[in-house]
Amino acid sequence: MKDLSPASRMDAIVLADGDTVATALRALGAGETVRLRRGGASVEHRVCEAIPFGHKFALFSIAQGDAVVKYGASIGTATAPIPAGGHVHIHNLTSARARPVAPR
Amino acid sequence: MLSFAGYHRPDGRIGVRNRLLVLSVGGLTGPVARRIAAGLRDAACVVLPFEAGLIGQDKRVHDRAALGLAAHPNIGAALVVGDNAQVLAALSDQLGACHQPHVVISMDDCDNDVFRMQEAGLRQGARLIHQISRQRRAPAPLSALVLGLECGRSDPSSGIAANPLLGRVADRLIDQGGTAILGETVEWLGAEHLLAARARSTQTGDAISAAVARREAEAMAAGVDLLGRNPTPTNIAAGLSTIEEKSLGSVAKSGTQPVEGMLDYAQTPPHPGLWVMDAPAFAPESLTGFVAAGAQLILFTTGVGNSYVSALAPTLKVSANPDTCTRLSDQIDLRADTALLGGDIPAPMVDAVLGQLAQVASGDLTWGEILGEGDEVVSRFGAAL
Repeated sequence: MKDLSPASRMDAIVLADGDTVATALRALGAGETVRLRRGGASVEHRVCEAIPFGHKFALFSIAQGDAVVKYGASIGTATAPIPAGGHVHIHNLTSARARPVAPR
Repeated sequence: MLSFAGYHRPDGRIGVRNRLLVLSVGGLTGPVARRIAAGLRDAACVVLPFEAGLIGQDKRVHDRAALGLAAHPNIGAALVVGDNAQVLAALSDQLGACHQPHVVISMDDCDNDVFRMQEAGLRQGARLIHQISRQRRAPAPLSALVLGLECGRSDPSSGIAANPLLGRVADRLIDQGGTAILGETVEWLGAEHLLAARARSTQTGDAISAAVARREAEAMAAGVDLLGRNPTPTNIAAGLSTIEEKSLGSVAKSGTQPVEGMLDYAQTPPHPGLWVMDAPAFAPESLTGFVAAGAQLILFTTGVGNSYVSALAPTLKVSANPDTCTRLSDQIDLRADTALLGGDIPAPMVDAVLGQLAQVASGDLTWGEILGEGDEVVSRFGAAL
């Protein structure tokens, strides 16, 4: 197989231009400055909380009620203000599509 | 412009392999079909277990799939066995119409003697293989390819790297005039409005929304709440927050091209471009839907590992999980972990994948072909008589 090793490892990935979150490619420590590629360039961001592998952090501050954008589309709405570099997950992000479990 | 070397078939399609298919129409001749295929060089065997008693949608799908598999461009010739002479005669007429070399053998032809069917199958199969061995590969454009897109045993690496990589490959193939098919309807749930927004016509957009709603309703009627506990606790621990995010990660396989239309299960795309197929998500059924529709190749992402492939369409297993790629290096055909590590899917990576696709189309074997990890399973939807 062709060796497609990147020139340098990135710490997070942005799936589409216009995304307001990045996804961690490794566990990130609170306060770490992480590298990611965005708009064709390598940029740095600081995460203000610990972000586990595969979890998201905000690229900009996100206001309560704003759409959170990943893959170029809304993946839900922020239920609280989220600082730039903050963890974005079920504690501050709600689905527009989900339905609560019906009691039986 | 990339090209590959394939088998130019009389119906105008181009195959990437040139095998004999031993097809059992109905499970009554399944065991003897397997014995026949086992006795012949590089013969593929597909047993369609259901036949008599199929009605309505099941009958239509079964007949469509049987023809789609027997006439497939990756198949140089078909040896069809079954217990119903009329069914076999009808299929033979259809295969004749598309000029697919074939022989049909029914139990009537053998006086219901399975030993005679086995001997006749071996003899006729051998003659067909002898005949098709004279076929040679010739240059063909990538536009001749119909690519199936699948994911299974996904993990976080699937949605953030492997599936987006497939999407970029699908975009490029369609730019070159090729065709790609996304299935697994239930995995559009939460992102179906975005797929619908990419549809060429409002009709298609409505069909996409309706297909998802239908599946939701069927699940609910059976007591399965697709939205109630989705994403699952495992998904949540892995970082998926909402159903939209989970589905977007799956639908990312389809790239960004417009959706030409929605296909029924095993229905052939009427023209090139990106198509969605209303189909089950389970890989054996899903892959056969693509293959019976004419897909010559499949790109199949996995997170933690999944060895299953199509029996008739070379299937490239793709993973972006570095551990999976290392541990299962002789089951994963395409490492996408470089996309994960590099935080990006650069154009040269997409070029390399297209190049590998062309190589496999031209004869490079996939691990699944070498191991024989493939099968074909036609979906069932209703009751049989």
